[in-house]
Amino acid sequence: MILLIQYTLIYASCLILVALGGMFSEHSGVINIGLEGIMVIGALGGALTMMYMPEGVSPFLIVVLTVLMAALAGLAFSMLLSVAAINFKADQTLVGTAMNILATAVAAVVVKAINTTASHGDNVSAIVRYIEEHEAFIVRWNLGEKSFFEFNWFFVITIVALIVSAVILYKTKFGLRLYACGEHPQAADAAGVNVAKMRYSGVMISGVLGGIGGLVYIASANSSWDFKYGVAGAGFLALAVMIFGEWKPWKIAGAAIIFGLFRALSNVYTAFPLLMELNIPSNVYNMLPYIISLLVLAFTSKSSRAPKAEGIPFEKGQR
Amino acid sequence: MKKKFKLDSPGMQTFLASVVAIIAGLVVGFIVLLCINPAGAPKAILTILKNYLNFTRPNLILKNIGGTLVRTAPLIMTSLAVTFAYKVGMFNIGVAGQYTIGIGCCMWAALAWDWPWYLCLLFAVVGGMVWGAIAGFLKSVFNVNEVISGIMLNWISLYIVNIWLNNDLTKETVSPGTLQLHNYAKQGMIPTLGLDKVLNNEYFGPSIFVAIIVAIIINIVLNKTVFGYELKATGGNKHAAKYSGMNDYRNIILTLAISGALAGLGAGLYYLTGIEQWETSASSLPAMGFDGIVAAFLGGLNPIGVIFSSYFIKHISIGGTMIDLNVYSSDISGLIVAIIIYFSAFTMIVRMVLKRLKERKAERGEKQ
Amino acid sequence: MWSSLALFGGKMNDKFVIEMQHITKVFPGIVANDDISLGLRKGEIHALLGENGAGKSTLMSVLFGLYQPEEGKILKDGKEVKINNPNDATALGIGMVHQHFKLVECFSVLDNIILGVEPTKFGLITKKEARRKVMALSEKYHLSVNPDAKIENITVGMQQRVEILKMLYRDNDILIFDEPTAVLTPQEIDELMIIMREFANEGKAILFITHKLNEILAVADRCTVLRKGKYIGTVDVKDATAEELSEMMVGRKVQLQVEKSDAVPGDVVLSVKNMVVASKQHKNNAVKNVSFDVHKGEILCIAGIDGNGQTELVYALSGLEPIVSGSIKMNGVELSKQSIRKRNLAGISHIPEDRHKHGLVLDYSLEQNLVLQTYFEPEFQKNGFIKFNEVRHYSEKLIDQYDIRSGQGSITTARSMSGGNQQKAIIAREIDRDTELLISVQPTRGLDVGAIEQVHRQLVAQRDSGKAVLLVSLELDEVMSVADRILVMFEGEIVGELNPKTCSVQELGLYMAGAKRDDMNGGEK
Repeated sequence: MILLIQYTLIYASCLILVALGGMFSEHSGVINIGLEGIMVIGALGGALTMMYMPEGVSPFLIVVLTVLMAALAGLAFSMLLSVAAINFKADQTLVGTAMNILATAVAAVVVKAINTTASHGDNVSAIVRYIEEHEAFIVRWNLGEKSFFEFNWFFVITIVALIVSAVILYKTKFGLRLYACGEHPQAADAAGVNVAKMRYSGVMISGVLGGIGGLVYIASANSSWDFKYGVAGAGFLALAVMIFGEWKPWKIAGAAIIFGLFRALSNVYTAFPLLMELNIPSNVYNMLPYIISLLVLAFTSKSSRAPKAEGIPFEKGQR
Repeated sequence: MKKKFKLDSPGMQTFLASVVAIIAGLVVGFIVLLCINPAGAPKAILTILKNYLNFTRPNLILKNIGGTLVRTAPLIMTSLAVTFAYKVGMFNIGVAGQYTIGIGCCMWAALAWDWPWYLCLLFAVVGGMVWGAIAGFLKSVFNVNEVISGIMLNWISLYIVNIWLNNDLTKETVSPGTLQLHNYAKQGMIPTLGLDKVLNNEYFGPSIFVAIIVAIIINIVLNKTVFGYELKATGGNKHAAKYSGMNDYRNIILTLAISGALAGLGAGLYYLTGIEQWETSASSLPAMGFDGIVAAFLGGLNPIGVIFSSYFIKHISIGGTMIDLNVYSSDISGLIVAIIIYFSAFTMIVRMVLKRLKERKAERGEKQ
Repeated sequence: MWSSLALFGGKMNDKFVIEMQHITKVFPGIVANDDISLGLRKGEIHALLGENGAGKSTLMSVLFGLYQPEEGKILKDGKEVKINNPNDATALGIGMVHQHFKLVECFSVLDNIILGVEPTKFGLITKKEARRKVMALSEKYHLSVNPDAKIENITVGMQQRVEILKMLYRDNDILIFDEPTAVLTPQEIDELMIIMREFANEGKAILFITHKLNEILAVADRCTVLRKGKYIGTVDVKDATAEELSEMMVGRKVQLQVEKSDAVPGDVVLSVKNMVVASKQHKNNAVKNVSFDVHKGEILCIAGIDGNGQTELVYALSGLEPIVSGSIKMNGVELSKQSIRKRNLAGISHIPEDRHKHGLVLDYSLEQNLVLQTYFEPEFQKNGFIKFNEVRHYSEKLIDQYDIRSGQGSITTARSMSGGNQQKAIIAREIDRDTELLISVQPTRGLDVGAIEQVHRQLVAQRDSGKAVLLVSLELDEVMSVADRILVMFEGEIVGELNPKTCSVQELGLYMAGAKRDDMNGGEK
């Protein structure tokens, strides 16, 4: 049970961060299908930081540096989307797809190159190990004999990110302007808002949050990661969370916890005698979030709350 | 009228844009190779480009040509699926899922039901078609964007096929892979018609020719028929299509169903050669689907163009497996492909540059 | 060069708050503004008159910083200024009510007003002060609004108030109104005029863009006229007459009356009974219990102010939207449950209101667009294959017959054609189908005067050949001059049937504004 809660929280944290990123991007008017790719690159940045971390660095510094590098990596990678979508008005779905393919390829090439060089050709895998460093993120709380809860610093980061996001979106002028750019960029432009700048900001925030989300995905429960697999669809699940959460921070948090629970169940259901007896394959739990999102979409799309101008390049002259 | 290459014709622009994207991809790939190990980089990039020409013995060259073509066939199909839907104004990102369902269908039919190959192929087509139609249905009836539903359906299909084929009838007991067709379901394999002997490659059969014929048919349907006229009108302006009495609901569902059927056929054409097993522990979708998007755009969203772009992509991907894997990773060709697709989203730039060139030419003309 | 300066020469001692000198703005393929100069005085209402496409909106967008001119300069209080974006314009005190409102629909009124100039404290928006200021302004100018209402839930007239409050909130004293009356009821127009006058009396300078002469005569002090991107002249309104102004606007004496003989109505072609159509915008029905007949050989015109159910009425007739109840009969055959295709084949042609939304596939070539309603007929297809030669042949015929001009003839992409020629192509396609009923919705919108006259002649010719024409128009002049019979729609109902020969424009106006109505249900049906 504790394990289930723990896994749920881990997945939910990851999904909240990435979905919030997607939310900022879409509220600015840019569809970000490339979240999966951003996560991979963020994860890569974080994983390599941990791998190269010299011994004896304080856990606090490890956490700060790793998160920072993951965020920076995600940010840099997200620029591929903003440049193409905002400056060159490229098809955003296509660019996002390209980013996803690119990220997995880049991560595999980089990690394999590092491993190959380090082992003189003996190790050609795409696995990064960060066994000790990843402990820095975890605080174990004893709950009596042999059972403990692994509290994770990522939970704190997520809660802070959630609150800050909600405040930014609803209480600041930045949020108001960003929101306007995704709904009616011509109106924002006429009110003196620099639409391109706001859209850049939206995508950049999604890069930062997506990057950290990627790190959460690989580092909170694992001590090594094989980059051959990317992040196994977590970015797309985050997209589903964002849609299910109607592009609103608090609802996203709720959706992420539900979807996180399903993901967690697929990992740990064998620990529950009841679920064991049902003998439902773990793939079913994996599949459920997508099916639920699809059903929800089917019944709510007529009155969709998606930002009205998302995916449409902004042309100054248009009305 | 004299036929002349015009820089400002849309076809020419698309072609140039693709060439620019390919060059950009290769340059970036080369730079990455240089960073990893400068000494071997020139040789490595050449190896990728040469693919089967790296071999000197004729029968090995033939064998590898065969291998490349076998893998090109399904890519032509998935990129046709993307192209077809795009002409009707839809981004079929769900092609990966339709392809996956196609795999599940033909594997099940061949291994569990012992169906003959043509029925297996048909089943794959039907599976892909149904999967595409679901997205079409959701779009036309519930107004769900096909990109979003496609993404959801992709992952659903992955898990469904994993569950479906994870079974004593279809899966090897010791590994997560499905049973080998040539041991357990020879009747389900597409006959090679002796073509395997020609290219010295046991998997090489008529698939590639089927794919090319389908591409030509799709081209005719889109450009010469009433059906194609309706579909493209719906894609160009669905309000106008509705106004003129076209059945937009039906056309949207039909388009995605056909698109899915093409993807399903691709899955059948590939998996029924017995060349690959499905891993029932797979945690990511087959690359063939997303590569289909790459090939479609690289081929200028033209049914004939995608034949060549599909071949090119498979050519360099397989070339990528031939480089010195102790120094470089084979993912380098995946990287090149990804860069190419990224840059082919930039057709705008190429057009802008061409326009500016033309203007400058005109200016110069005026001055003289 | 000197000639246009000389226009201002005599008035140099007058202080201009804003002066635009020799503005030239070029778009690909068109010179939207060609050497235009304009001076705006403090405390005046300065009208900017011109037809659609004369360059009014472009000029104002230049002043507001949305476009950069290729040539020319702008002076504020005699000093040259650069206006690179709306922020610069706001800083100079220039505000604009755009023709298409620039409001974020899911935002509240208050959020829309403060967008771009948000008051903040510690980085957070503080709405208290802003709300007080907005309430004070709305009280002062009688612009009552609910600051917390969402834009999507308030009326168009209310939305315009929000736009005006946006300018006032920014303390603008140079106010641009771009075609502000197009969407308003006559009462709302009157109110707006009073408010504009009030602003002028306070010393604000107002630029009022319109193509309606009576509004200029009613409220403006001076008037600058543009035609086809060129500066024509500036006149004092008190010395000018409507005839003079309209001649300046169109460049010749306008023949407002359409020459036509009396109608000879025949049998009923279309019969609509108790039709109800739901609205997509609000919960009320857009068309309420409407009944009317259209006869052979007559032009029946549906008049009314935009948004009173005309669009939905036509959508329901053509099948683009379902009806809630009632019946639509064509020659006695019930059509209301039929598909669009069946209705078209039953004899309905439809020149749609929005030619880009419904009328054309912009990426299709001209010839492909010309067969949009007939591509499936045996004439153009065989065994599912398009007969390209026949299509080309037919297209050449229509191009010739209807004088459709385009860059490359049949193979021109519709997108690259001018608006007037796009409309000609649609009219050619619909008229040439030779159906019994022609539904024509605002067929002259956005066309120049020559083209308008041509369209009117074509409509009359259709009528004379014995067809039934249902014309929906928002232009009073068009209604009065083309129609044989007028039905006025107000809030989804038909409130009056008028004879254009016997009724006055004023009377029509009263019906359109809902001030007068007849009981239509007890009448003829």
